[in-house]
Amino acid sequence: MATVPPAESPVREVQLSALVVMRLIKHSTQVWPQPATGCLVGMDVGAQLQITNSFPFPASNPDNTTGNPNATNPADPYHQADQLALALAAPRAKSSVAYQNEMIKYLREVNVDAQGVGWYVSCSMGNFVNASFVENQAFYQRATGEQTVALVFDVGRSSQGSFNLKAYRLSPSFMAACKENKFTTESIQKSNLRYQDILIELPVAIHNSHLLTSYLHQLPTSPTADTDLALPASLNELHRNPHLASNPLAPNLDNLDLSIDPFLEKTVDQLLDSIEAHQTEQNNAQYYQRSLAREQAKIQTWQLKRKQENALRVQQKQTPLPEDEWQKLFKLPVEPSRLEAMLVGRQVEQYARQIDGFGAVVSGKMFGVRGNLLPGEAA
Amino acid sequence: MGDSHNYLHLARPLAPAPIATSQSSVTAPVSVTLQPQALFSIIDHASRRPADQERVIGTLLGTRSEDGTEVSVTNCYAVPHTETAEQVEMDMDYQKRMLDLHLRAAPKEVLVGWYATSGELNTFSALIQNFYSQQGEGTFPHPAVHLTVSTVAGQDVEANTYISAPIGVTAERAADSCLFIPVPHEIKYDEASKSGLELIAGARDRDDRTQLMQTDLETLEHAIEQVLEMLERVSNYVSDVLDEEQQSSTALGQFLLNTLALAPKVDAEDIERDFNNHIQDVLLIDLSNRLATAAITMGGDTNVAGSGGDQQKQQGGGERGGERGGQRREGGGGQQQRSGQAGPGGRRGEQ
Repeated sequence: MATVPPAESPVREVQLSALVVMRLIKHSTQVWPQPATGCLVGMDVGAQLQITNSFPFPASNPDNTTGNPNATNPADPYHQADQLALALAAPRAKSSVAYQNEMIKYLREVNVDAQGVGWYVSCSMGNFVNASFVENQAFYQRATGEQTVALVFDVGRSSQGSFNLKAYRLSPSFMAACKENKFTTESIQKSNLRYQDILIELPVAIHNSHLLTSYLHQLPTSPTADTDLALPASLNELHRNPHLASNPLAPNLDNLDLSIDPFLEKTVDQLLDSIEAHQTEQNNAQYYQRSLAREQAKIQTWQLKRKQENALRVQQKQTPLPEDEWQKLFKLPVEPSRLEAMLVGRQVEQYARQIDGFGAVVSGKMFGVRGNLLPGEAA
Repeated sequence: MGDSHNYLHLARPLAPAPIATSQSSVTAPVSVTLQPQALFSIIDHASRRPADQERVIGTLLGTRSEDGTEVSVTNCYAVPHTETAEQVEMDMDYQKRMLDLHLRAAPKEVLVGWYATSGELNTFSALIQNFYSQQGEGTFPHPAVHLTVSTVAGQDVEANTYISAPIGVTAERAADSCLFIPVPHEIKYDEASKSGLELIAGARDRDDRTQLMQTDLETLEHAIEQVLEMLERVSNYVSDVLDEEQQSSTALGQFLLNTLALAPKVDAEDIERDFNNHIQDVLLIDLSNRLATAAITMGGDTNVAGSGGDQQKQQGGGERGGERGGQRREGGGGQQQRSGQAGPGGRRGEQ
């Protein structure tokens, strides 16, 4: 379910070439469970963004680390988190920008489209909505006149049968808030920003070149109706027949699988994580409000005292003391940013959408199987 | 395109290597596995070649097995080169620099060979092959794999893989002479690419070669339609055999019997019970998900509404939550109390 992008959005549709699809799958499944990030190149044709090639970003920066940059010490949990954060932050890292520019320069020499049109990231079961994702896309969308998208490839869901790739952009209202970098309660109230408004989803289509289409026609799919295959002489021969045994474009029937536990388990796990994060945010907000109330109460009492003192001094014909000294004496607590809370809300909504879709598919399959196993019963 | 030709591999003659035999080149047979993304990349490059060039070349990257006999090509990139009747020029700096860049992103890959987008092999191929097999820059001591992909419009795309052995006519011509030995290759489509391939192939039969991304339900519908079509074909065949219009085959009959035996034999009550449990699991998770979403939406709204309390927002949030759980229908109450409640309430739903 793609939200309709606003009419003035510079990008309204995304078209991928088959090459990008394959490279994306390859890279994401190779470095799973780490997230895979990379750059997209292509061309914009009006409001349609055509993505024709992609290349991965190096995950670790070899200049910073002295030893082997890929070594992870399993006894050191901090280091592990660092790798993950490093991989997620790759699209906006300075070294990656240099890498990207150099790659694009070289690719231009062999006639590959030399315009960076975005970046991609892989995730598992929809857990891509985090601060890093938003910052990366904001980094790309900051330039004027840009047309960039973020592609999110869901490794977990694609392995269940249906290929799952989505394109996102940050909404203009969110970009405006990002520019000021203020996510306090009043600014959000003023701009009326809700967590549903953060991301816009764009429709994606796949487009093949002529040469590739002719190659695809060449691949064996199913034996055509008019081929006169000789009947097999034995069961073994049937199993060993190369036409039937290995068939790359055979219908992919993985999505007829009935098992629900892995999907539900993982999603609920991640949902619990999000709810915990939400709790933390709530606690922070409440703590802030409590300390703000305390500070304000203290200021009130101080002001009262000061007024009384001044009244006394006026009686004694002395100069009154300044009343606004409280600004220097009391420091109001800083309001924590509400950005994380909004992102958690968006993430939970993402999980909810996933489960909705999954529930629909599974119910259909279940009723179908039941009707088959219990023939004669009305559904 | 996995062809089943038979291959006879003749051991290559050892090259007159300047280094002692401890570093001699490998002469064992080599078999090559191609990944589809490399092939797609080559086809894409072929369609982008400059108008005046017949063929374009590039470098192959991949992994090699321990003993060097199995080579898997996982990635490739194009290298600009110019070819005239008399000479060929290749941008070596470009090749080195791109290799560097690619290895930074994928440190486990190594240089395994090169490709060309036309099926012919001539002296220029030999020259380039020797460049790729040399020491230092090339794949020495392993043989460099040469992949040719014929990309003539209108004809089949054909891929061939070779390794080379030096062949000497005279000492001066040793650099551009080469014996290309064909080696078996296979295009392997692994599990993960299956779903992507299906989508790509979906664009095959349409005029504009475009295919929109499909939702889960649409993919499910497509899969069910395919299964129904297959079932119909099989049942037509079986009824034809029974009517003696088609030849019967014991192998096919055996295969079908084996497949039918896979249908489970369970009691009706067991099926009902399992079915109900299954469906209830899914519905429960769906419900608790919606509860969590509603709770978080409300929590967000009440926090943003400020300490004064925006009655409208609270009521709207209360109603939304009220659809799912009666507890949340209270209209008043301190905002802190409510958001405090929303947290553990959402949690309770999960357990």
